[in-house]
Amino acid sequence: MSSLSAEASRPLKITIGGVRGVVGETLTPDLLVNFSQAFGTWVGGGRVLISRDTRPSGRMVAHCVTSGLIATGCEVVDLGICPTAALQLAVRQSEAVGGIAITAGHNNARWNALKFCRDDGIYLNPRQAQELLNVYHQREFAKAPWNKLAPVGRDDAAGERHLEAVREQLDVDAIRAAGLKIAVDCTNGACSRFTPRFLADLGCEVVAINDDPELPFPHEPRPTPPNLSQLRALVSAAEADAGFAHDADGDRLGIVTEAGEAPGEEYTLCLAAEMVLGRGDPGPVVTNLSTSMAVEDVASKYGREVIRTGVGQVFISEAAVDHGAAIAGEGSGGIVFPRINYAHDSIAALGHIVNLMAERDRPISELIAEIPRYTIVKREVVCPPQRAYSALEELRRGIDAPWVTETNLDDGVKLIGEDRWVHIRVSMTEPRIRVIAEAAAEGLAIDLAEEYVRRANRLL
Amino acid sequence: MAGIQSLKIGVSGVRGVVGQSLTPQLVVGFAEAFGTYLDGGVVVIGRDPRPSGEMILNALVGGLLSTGCSVIDIGVCPTPTMQHAVVDLGADGGIAVTASHHPAAWNALKFCREDGIFLNQHQAEELLNVYHQGAFVQRPHDALGRMGHDEGAINRHLTKVLYSADLDAISSLAPKVVIDSVNGAGADCAEGLLQKMGCEVIAINDVPNGRFPREPEPIAENLGQLCEAVREHGADLGLAQDADGDRLAIVSEEGEAIGEEYTLAFACDVMAETRKGPLVTNLSTSRMIDEVGERHGCEVVRSKVGEVNVVETMLAVDAIGGGEGNGGVIDPNLHYCRDNLAAMALILGGMARRGITITEWKRTFRPSAIVKEKLPCSAGMIGRAILALQRHYEGQTLDLTEGVKAFFDGDAWVHARPSNTEPIIRVVAEADDHATARWLADEAVQVAAQAIEG
Repeated sequence: MSSLSAEASRPLKITIGGVRGVVGETLTPDLLVNFSQAFGTWVGGGRVLISRDTRPSGRMVAHCVTSGLIATGCEVVDLGICPTAALQLAVRQSEAVGGIAITAGHNNARWNALKFCRDDGIYLNPRQAQELLNVYHQREFAKAPWNKLAPVGRDDAAGERHLEAVREQLDVDAIRAAGLKIAVDCTNGACSRFTPRFLADLGCEVVAINDDPELPFPHEPRPTPPNLSQLRALVSAAEADAGFAHDADGDRLGIVTEAGEAPGEEYTLCLAAEMVLGRGDPGPVVTNLSTSMAVEDVASKYGREVIRTGVGQVFISEAAVDHGAAIAGEGSGGIVFPRINYAHDSIAALGHIVNLMAERDRPISELIAEIPRYTIVKREVVCPPQRAYSALEELRRGIDAPWVTETNLDDGVKLIGEDRWVHIRVSMTEPRIRVIAEAAAEGLAIDLAEEYVRRANRLL
Repeated sequence: MAGIQSLKIGVSGVRGVVGQSLTPQLVVGFAEAFGTYLDGGVVVIGRDPRPSGEMILNALVGGLLSTGCSVIDIGVCPTPTMQHAVVDLGADGGIAVTASHHPAAWNALKFCREDGIFLNQHQAEELLNVYHQGAFVQRPHDALGRMGHDEGAINRHLTKVLYSADLDAISSLAPKVVIDSVNGAGADCAEGLLQKMGCEVIAINDVPNGRFPREPEPIAENLGQLCEAVREHGADLGLAQDADGDRLAIVSEEGEAIGEEYTLAFACDVMAETRKGPLVTNLSTSRMIDEVGERHGCEVVRSKVGEVNVVETMLAVDAIGGGEGNGGVIDPNLHYCRDNLAAMALILGGMARRGITITEWKRTFRPSAIVKEKLPCSAGMIGRAILALQRHYEGQTLDLTEGVKAFFDGDAWVHARPSNTEPIIRVVAEADDHATARWLADEAVQVAAQAIEG
């Protein structure tokens, strides 16, 4: 049914989040050299760091990007395969004027993407991304003469420096003393060479699967419960204290309890916030409109405010800077630790949750049980790109629900009631409308989500 | 105007000015076209040390991987090393990233096929058609090419040259050689080769960094520093490389740049010493090759100008040696490519066995003067200019294989032909003395110019 229209549209998204496409179809060498030249032109020369996740297309993309950047007079430093958070930290800590992460994050292996970050290591905001797109569309790129072309540099230590930066924020002694056994699924992604060693250095007993960056993704590289069956089995079989799952480039983290249950990636932010707020980091909590109300419960326990932004990593990062947040993050499992950097960082999230387990000396299932339980239901409706915003607008006009006490239009439509909310928005990365609903009662959340999926489908 | 003139896409490859016409888009496009043309397989890439080489290499690799071709990067090396590597590694094709003797602002792609020989005119036209059609092969993420590196290509090439060299003769002479590598691709390997052959080596401009201290074309007027160094060190000879190690020029023990035509003459003199069969060179090359042929009783076959034309004629007639008067020597015992390392081995061996100096060797040839001229000529005027030259030389013996070549008394000749790479007519004349050669060249230029002006 609806998948037809998705296939009919070309698999390419050029948005403020970067350029994302399918290799062998839309993500061509020509597109890649053009975008990297546009970025080189936009930053106006200088050092640009690049990194990639483990997708087999990463090399092809990296070569194209390198060529395009050199041609505009940029000095390329290649960090190789490492988490995007390591790239962002390296950009911020160096003289670099920007960075390009070659990763399609949680998308399957056919996809790849360029994510552009600026000199402070944060992704381009919408205005900056718009400027970049204008340069791209104008096609008048900077062209450095032959004697201004810089040789390509390498930096193999960025991943290690990132681990060190995370470690510095943790109570290593407490973790060591706890002697935890941790299972981890790296989805053969960018964290494969880093996380098992990181945990071992913290004194954990590590049981790792899918930690070979040469192998393909064993499942969709998205750490949501449907992709965690292997890890759940591993946690049970190994009698581990917890299991953690990365996405392909190390920004999102999924959790499995010692009972082998996958409570959902919404708990990643709550647990990390419990750790950070509990140890007294000052400032509010920043999250997006689609994230669980459980965040408010955790924040209020420590007397903190919650600031909600539109969905998108850059909104979280910029709001975290602007509000001096203690922690920021998304219900998708991507968490920002301002004391480390303003980047989504699944290794840091893992470290902090392990720290919490050690410090509280309690099973992770109990830590989760303390957080008020809501049911969050995530649905999506395939929608041709040309209909996305108009359909949303029509949907908004048709809404007349008695339970709604507040309507937020910062990013799509969010209807908020006392005990429930539903958020309907256009995906930044795929030709889809996303419907997220949450309520204390499971039936209510499902009904709410289904109702708005039906409404959207009817319009389309 | 400068933008238009700074890009040449033709049968000899793609050449442009970095920062102007030779953009990453153009390079990935040609890489995808070549990958599509080969329909997968392994491609060897070598490059000269121009600073733009890395930008171009990366674009090539990106384009080739996307078409499913795997790449073996052999790094900075002479162009003939790349050609050897294609054969040695059993690859399906190769690309040399080099603008050869052109200034540092230029760079270029030269495409070679699985036998380590450059694409011929028909193959190059096929590649251009693929490029212009723009419908490139795009492989899915799990069928992309792989990337590899090979650090051993230069050593394998050197080993083959050493194996072919008369090491006993050269090392017993132990000549003192000054080598000027113009900071090009041949820098390290030429010095190493000469030392291994038993020469005393003084190297100048021997850092392969692509910062050319002189124009990289090894013609007499660019070799002042080398001539001086030969005199200063009292060397037996000087050797000048171009930027990508295919052409060679010689400076005598007196510090005289004897002209790049002598390189092939000497090398052919050596190859014909012991081998039986024809020699091949192009129509614009000195009659000294004919003298070599007479001396050793071998036929000389002339081809159109261009390395691939010489090579394909060599294959057709089973030649024992060949090359071009611009200093490009082809020793078929090694490979069908212009190779200045092979030329060094041949010439040093021949000199040692003969027990003569460069000047003495030069004097074994009848005195010869060559004058090379060029004349701007738009593409539309070339036919008219060539026809006027044909009419003008009516009554002389003519060779019309490529443009017009006219022969005169005293074995003088003039050859006028349209360039393969630029909108010009090239004129080469040879006679016993400079004045006659100059007069012949000027006459041809004048006739062509009058025809163009109408």
